[in-house]
Amino acid sequence: MEKRESLWEAYLRRGLSRRSFLKGCVALTSLMGLSTDMFSKVVEAAETKPLPVVVWIHGHECTGCDESFIRSASPLASDLVLTNIALEYDHLLSAACGAPFEAHLDETITKYYGNYILCVEGAVATKESGVHCMSGGHTFLHTLEKAAKGAAAIIAYGSCSAYGGIQAAAPNPTGSTGIEHFVGGKPVVKVPGCPPIPEVMTGVVMHVALFGTIPPLDGDGRPKQFFGNRIHDTCYRRPFFDAGMFAETYDDAGSKAGWCLYKLGCRGPETYNSCGNLRWWQGMSYPIQSGAACIGCSNSNFWDEAPFSARLPQYGKIGDADKIGVALGVMTAAGVGAHAVASIIQRNSRDNLLEEEHDDK
Amino acid sequence: MKSVKEVKRKEYYIFSPFLRIFHWIMASQIVILFITGLLITKPMNVSTTEPFFTITSMDLVRDIHFTAAFILCASLILRVYGFIVNKGDRLFPRVWEGHFYEETVDVALHYMLLKPHHASFLRNPLARMSYAALYGLLAIEILTGFAMYFMTNPSGTGGLLFGWVNTILGSEMMSHYVHHYVAWFIILFAIGHMYMVIRAEFMEGESEVSSMFSGKKILAHTPKDANELD
Repeated sequence: MEKRESLWEAYLRRGLSRRSFLKGCVALTSLMGLSTDMFSKVVEAAETKPLPVVVWIHGHECTGCDESFIRSASPLASDLVLTNIALEYDHLLSAACGAPFEAHLDETITKYYGNYILCVEGAVATKESGVHCMSGGHTFLHTLEKAAKGAAAIIAYGSCSAYGGIQAAAPNPTGSTGIEHFVGGKPVVKVPGCPPIPEVMTGVVMHVALFGTIPPLDGDGRPKQFFGNRIHDTCYRRPFFDAGMFAETYDDAGSKAGWCLYKLGCRGPETYNSCGNLRWWQGMSYPIQSGAACIGCSNSNFWDEAPFSARLPQYGKIGDADKIGVALGVMTAAGVGAHAVASIIQRNSRDNLLEEEHDDK
Repeated sequence: MKSVKEVKRKEYYIFSPFLRIFHWIMASQIVILFITGLLITKPMNVSTTEPFFTITSMDLVRDIHFTAAFILCASLILRVYGFIVNKGDRLFPRVWEGHFYEETVDVALHYMLLKPHHASFLRNPLARMSYAALYGLLAIEILTGFAMYFMTNPSGTGGLLFGWVNTILGSEMMSHYVHHYVAWFIILFAIGHMYMVIRAEFMEGESEVSSMFSGKKILAHTPKDANELD
């Protein structure tokens, strides 16, 4: 393997100053969700670690995650792709195409076997041997298994590669599912979201690139620093929830005043993501801030949890839970009442019978 | 009808104070939990223009709900202690004993009004089964409840202890769903329970209601399971 340059060497080659390198490292430290006392370690890693080779493949999906990724501002996606990582293969961002491009994937896998980071977007289509998702003449399942074998770390970007995504919605005709069970038992860093927040995408790959280890994960395999909090618990509209101030419809005064969207079906209380603290587009906004209830797009089964516009008691396939509860309660009470009447009748006839027997004697 | 009759009655001491106190704590907390639970699911809208503290504030309703939940869980200690020290408190259905099944069928046939009466019990087999079912429902409520409550910090101790419930149910939304429906089933149990207790008191001459206050049943007849107390 030829010598690969580190981030610092890449800066030197471009004639950039030490100062801008350190500023870049500060930005990296904060975007990876690390505390500032980790700064020296980040600098050390950026000076010595060779730029990581990244192979980025796409499966059953809409490539919306890439749309999100290329809008990352800190670091700029262009900086990341051109300077911070060695992106050897990417279905979507590559200029090359055709047979040489496919051959390059094989070359990269052989050349950097055991050393490259594999980023996966999109679900695996499992039905009919995977023919529902093909690229370069192979099923995605084939490409994934081939690329996963030699990967040092695997990052699953988007709800599709993490859990199956929209195409896995019932009845799931293509048998789509997350990549977890098709990578030969290797740990997968899940970065769910439809799409994930751009800075979260760049932050996770930079963590793996700089430290050579996967970031601390929760029980579901999601990086704790980005998925450790509910949107509800970090939401700027939380005071309205606590005070009991809710928008009842999308066009009422509460909605205009920016009150809590809980009653409009907001999934914030069940959704783990950084929307509440990082927000989108350099902290500009996120769905709830723009007045739309969260649909929980980073949840493992959000696509089948319709309607997005309702929470309990309306939520659910069998109707309003409280109406069903009241109906069952009334039926139980009626049943109990009827049973009481029948019991009294039974007792009276029993007593009469006993009396008759008594009289006969 | 004579107002004063001389009847020979026997006193059976069944329920320890621990069980009785637990029972009434549970009953009251279930009422509080159910009402606040409905309010959390479908909150009342405070018609103000700025967030400030009111009696209907979601914050307060949630705090009452959580406090009631913790009181209920803590009171289970009384139940367990009563179970250990007092034979009468052991209400688990005796499924390991053959006669349990015949007796269950006997009681069930009577409750279906197919038989004029059933054998008398201090703690009848169908009632025992309904209590086991109630504890099952309570367990579901506790598990799903803590699974939602502690996930404010998924990597904390509570999150580690109860987070798996959300995974098993498929999603945290399902925990809300199950929690809500099971709450209704507990209310259905309560309706049936109150009816059966009052029915037993007034129609079958069992001192079912008073025993949960005094701990004793004073009966004119000899119940079939009287020997279990020895």
